[in-house]
Amino acid sequence: MTAHAYVVDARWLEPPEPMERVLAVLPRLAPGEALLLKLHREPYPLYAMLDAQGLRHETRPLPDGTFDIVIRRG
Amino acid sequence: MSVPLRFFLSAPFFLLAAGLLLAFAGDTPGLGPAPAALAATHAVTLGFLAMVMTGAMMQMLPVVAGVVLPHPRALAWATHLPLGLGTATLMAAFWTGNGAAFGIAAVLLALAFGTFLVATGRALRRAQAGDTVSGMRHAWLALVVTVVLGILLALTLGGRALLPDFAAALATHARFGLAGWVLLLVIGVAYQVVPMFQITPAYPRWLRRGLTPVLLGLLVARGVAPALPAPLDALTAIASEAGLAIGGAGFALATLALQARRRRKLPDVTLDFWRVGMISLLLCALVALAGTFVADVGDAPAFPALLGVLFIGGFAVSVVNGMLYKIVPFLAWFHLQAQLDARAGTIPNMKEMIAEPATRRQFRAHLAALALLVLAVFWPRAAAPWAGLALSLSALFLSINLLAAARRFARHGGRFG
Repeated sequence: MTAHAYVVDARWLEPPEPMERVLAVLPRLAPGEALLLKLHREPYPLYAMLDAQGLRHETRPLPDGTFDIVIRRG
Repeated sequence: MSVPLRFFLSAPFFLLAAGLLLAFAGDTPGLGPAPAALAATHAVTLGFLAMVMTGAMMQMLPVVAGVVLPHPRALAWATHLPLGLGTATLMAAFWTGNGAAFGIAAVLLALAFGTFLVATGRALRRAQAGDTVSGMRHAWLALVVTVVLGILLALTLGGRALLPDFAAALATHARFGLAGWVLLLVIGVAYQVVPMFQITPAYPRWLRRGLTPVLLGLLVARGVAPALPAPLDALTAIASEAGLAIGGAGFALATLALQARRRRKLPDVTLDFWRVGMISLLLCALVALAGTFVADVGDAPAFPALLGVLFIGGFAVSVVNGMLYKIVPFLAWFHLQAQLDARAGTIPNMKEMIAEPATRRQFRAHLAALALLVLAVFWPRAAAPWAGLALSLSALFLSINLLAAARRFARHGGRFG
């Protein structure tokens, strides 16, 4: 597992707090860096926002039912 | 932004109108079919509940079902304007007994609901299957029955004898509107929003699959019961009424149990509104069961008024009021974020859109109004004016709180156009 420049653990936070926290970090994300978002559900509305900003994202479901979402610039 | 918001910002004014009618118009919900009580009831069911629920459904369909409603701006105009005008006209019609007013109200409301039903009906047919979507489909079917009967009832009151059995049509109209459209839509939406916003486990699968189709089936059975041969008619009526009450109670208990198991035990005013709503639904179901099996209860003059106060005021208004405190701040935050492509810290977050103490104050006013409404069922002369004043105060606070979110949105550069 590669190191992530930023980790946002937004599990069990009420919407839209996970989205607010991710949007707070994104401006600091440099090209080549990755942000790991830990969440208790799949953030469909966030995907649309990331796509609109040209950011790549990859979602891994974990055995405990939560999700790891890795967001990269460039 | 102004497309969805107009529904949510105008709805509290109808709640205020209902409160003022109860406070100053003389007759009361305890005295049976009285003009002010009927006007106030429809101010709440059409002007407040249907106003918010149609607006919210048009808002939610793209999110939960992945379908886009065509021409959202035109659709909002063609639903919101005739719904508001039609409700006001119907209130005036009940109040004055004017036949022409009933006719105008029927046309306006047919236009509003016709537009809404056609647009959402096509969207629901194309929607991705899911428990919330099927709850919405069942609520949609119940709304069709409610609206058709409501229009026929209004035209009959306006002087055209269109209904052979007015009392049976009236009972079916109320049942499909409340235990159908309102309850089924709240159930379908709860499958999504209770786990999402209150961070609870999901509703059990069997309940999500079975509850709304069974309730709709029971409503149909109750509706056709009078046409069946004896003794099947009475048996069907009793069994379907009991089934509806048990279904409603089951949903309330399941929701309260999930909310007790939520992940983060932080205070949340929406959660408190939901809990009051579920306890009221449970009480309403118990009263309905008692009325079905104990003749003295079912025949008591206060029985229908008590059911109405518990279901409409206690259950439906509480849940819708609570949801407004999620929907309006979310829309304000989301559109600000999207319009300004805002950097962190430059716009208020969702929780800052409405001051929490102000929502608590409104919650207490709502509780006072509910308690006084229940008292007004039994002591109308003494309690109804106070219930009306408390309801007006609660509606006024709600309106001020929602407008605060809209003001904050505008102050940070949000555009309503």
